[in-house]
Amino acid sequence: MSTQTKSSRISLDYVKTIGIVNNGFNGRGFANPYDLTTDDEGRIFVLNRCDPARASAIRVGICNLDDEYLEEFGRGNGSGDGQFTWVVAMAKDRQNRLHITDEFNHRVTTYTTDGEYVSHWGKPGANDGELNGPAGIAVDSSDNLFIVDQNNSRVQKFTTEGKFIATWGEFGNSDGQFNLPWGVAVDKDDNVYIADWRNDRIQKFSNDGQFLVTFGSSGDGEGQFQRPTSVAIDPDGFIYIADWGNERVQILGPDGSFQLILKGEATLSKWAEEYLASNPEEKAERDISNLKPNLPAHLNTPYHISSQTEPYFWGPVSVTIDKKGRLYVTETNRHRFQVYQKR
Amino acid sequence: MINNDTVLMAHLLRRAGFGATRNELEDYLALGYDGAVEALLNPSDAGNMPDDLIRRYHVEQSELRDLAGSAAYWMYRMISTSCPLEEKIALFWHGLFATGYAKLNQARSLLNQVDMFRRSGMGSFENLLVDLSKDPAMIVWLDNNENHDEAINENYGRELLELFSMGIGNYTEEDIKECSRAFTGWTLGNAEYMAIRAAKDSIWPYGRIAWHFDYREQDHDDGEKTFLGETGRFNGEDIIAIIAKQESTAQFVATRLFQFFAADEITEFGEKAIQEMITTYFSSGYQIKDMLRTLFNSDYFKSDEARFARVKGPVEMVVGAIRMAGNYQNPALGIEKVSNTMLYMGQGLLQPPTVEGWHEGSEWIDSGALVERVNFVAKELSNVQSPGVRSIIDRLEANSDAGILHPTALANGCLDLLGPIAVSEATHEVLVNYASRQGDLDLNGHQPGDEAEQRVGNMLRLVAATREYQLA
Repeated sequence: MSTQTKSSRISLDYVKTIGIVNNGFNGRGFANPYDLTTDDEGRIFVLNRCDPARASAIRVGICNLDDEYLEEFGRGNGSGDGQFTWVVAMAKDRQNRLHITDEFNHRVTTYTTDGEYVSHWGKPGANDGELNGPAGIAVDSSDNLFIVDQNNSRVQKFTTEGKFIATWGEFGNSDGQFNLPWGVAVDKDDNVYIADWRNDRIQKFSNDGQFLVTFGSSGDGEGQFQRPTSVAIDPDGFIYIADWGNERVQILGPDGSFQLILKGEATLSKWAEEYLASNPEEKAERDISNLKPNLPAHLNTPYHISSQTEPYFWGPVSVTIDKKGRLYVTETNRHRFQVYQKR
Repeated sequence: MINNDTVLMAHLLRRAGFGATRNELEDYLALGYDGAVEALLNPSDAGNMPDDLIRRYHVEQSELRDLAGSAAYWMYRMISTSCPLEEKIALFWHGLFATGYAKLNQARSLLNQVDMFRRSGMGSFENLLVDLSKDPAMIVWLDNNENHDEAINENYGRELLELFSMGIGNYTEEDIKECSRAFTGWTLGNAEYMAIRAAKDSIWPYGRIAWHFDYREQDHDDGEKTFLGETGRFNGEDIIAIIAKQESTAQFVATRLFQFFAADEITEFGEKAIQEMITTYFSSGYQIKDMLRTLFNSDYFKSDEARFARVKGPVEMVVGAIRMAGNYQNPALGIEKVSNTMLYMGQGLLQPPTVEGWHEGSEWIDSGALVERVNFVAKELSNVQSPGVRSIIDRLEANSDAGILHPTALANGCLDLLGPIAVSEATHEVLVNYASRQGDLDLNGHQPGDEAEQRVGNMLRLVAATREYQLA
């Protein structure tokens, strides 16, 4: 079964899957990853949200496309310097620093890409510059940070040092209003896109917050969304959306027209192959199993299908585009990311 | 008969739900008793905390890989539902058709089983047994995936007759074998791979893979069988149809429903209600909902004898206290610790100790469990910042004499708003004496968390520690 709906304007090739569930507190693998970013050196940074049992090991893991797990950093669970509680998203600025949002501690924590803690800023509240559940974060060409302030139903613009610049948005479902927004992205012209999570749509704004256009509506059809979590824009203006509630990724054209659906087609990562090689009995049964089963009617929902169909996205929370046209889809519930290459 | 509408409604809501705040109680009172029974029996929009919100903030409850997060996920549902009987009946079947995490290592599929109890748990008992027999968690729990055409495994067949329907003494060993033959081929998808993963507790490479039912016709024994005196080429559904029409099955279902929803002990008066339920079982085509209607409308259920005739189970205790306090209405850190608390009290959700479920009634209470119960509820109800407790304070003030509550009024008001709860004279004296130590309570101008409010919190804490509060 194909897991892509084809478009004549854009096409992507599945490249590979990287990841394996990490049930411990460090080392190779991921623990409920929530976001991903890349750098010019080919490093891939994976933000691990971690479940409560492993909260003391909330961390950023670093690997590359050659499946090498390089290192990791973080200072554990809490509200001390460099610590996290509920991490959501991560953005890299032009000084090679990673800014990480924490929706529980209502703040942004900054590390270098070499894992050195720099600082944290932000305090809870609803005044300008204060935060209530910071979620998505993105950087524009002038190194301004855009932060989705979910519980204040707004977007705030800061310097990378946390100095407040501007804000827009309020609660609601009209143009320029938000309902628990999550992801944010900036295109090459510095326009700002918001994954307006509970309004099931993407909104596009100018860099200073002027509403431009909205894409999508509630549903599971083409161009419709169920709780979009993340958005990314490629240099040609194509819009990639993590359609989380539908357990899929959708791609829209620069004008918002529907182009493509990805459902996921994960294969065994190198780390997964190594696990199975050392567990031959499990591998033998797996090899003759049907990992894309037909399910009873009462399980015919995207969530249940993905919970039983290992190649499909399950909890596709984040989409990331790198400079070489690769798409990375981070899956919280499968502890991995799938890589696609735009043709 | 209970001749006070509020008292009777509170009694119904402790049994068909998890107790009620005064606001909830008033909403049900507006429907009248019969209307309330129908509303409870016909759940519509549960209005519970939406899955998308839970999944956004609780990654562990999105993946549902581990026990703690999965139990907490069900907790949220019980805490926030507007259809409490839907959860209560799921809890009842979870205890009766006890399936545990320890062997399965598969929480998502256990929660799928709970979903099935919500879906089928108030319908026909015959259909419920069919759904149960197709439930992947049950299949692995009782080894029906090892029940093959050429080599039967009797575990499921035996328990279906002994623990899930007729009860021992109503069938023969030969019936067990024939029953088991009929369920050959009833397995789960990718059964062999899933069995290895369950046995090894393997989460690799990409987390759990949830389960679904699969029927393998080539592994099914299609031969002639004789079961309970009837002969035919029976499949599983045919066997269940025979089970469902047995008098012993009706007796079993009625008795277990009675003990969960009415009273731990069965008196002569209670036996009358059971017989009425058995009659309904047959006249309704084995409908559980109709049996519950018969029970809730029975003279026994409405009698003083039935009131406080059950020891609250830990889940009822914890969920009831949280709902009364109005806490955890949104996703919050720490909910998994609350589900662990129930385990310390002796009832871990999704982890019944054996296939026989929990030993209920007075066995819920031992000295260790009692301390856990009292401590948890006392902490919930004494926090005057909790919205439910604030509502109690406001109601006490509204019913006071110009903001002043005499010690007896304070004790009586707290007993009323937490139930109403009936306590012994001795208990009442202790409560009033405690309230009297600081004289009249002046709630005029009270502020969140001030000394006056804390006196209410302390009284609620003391009520939570009474013997009577342990009973439903």
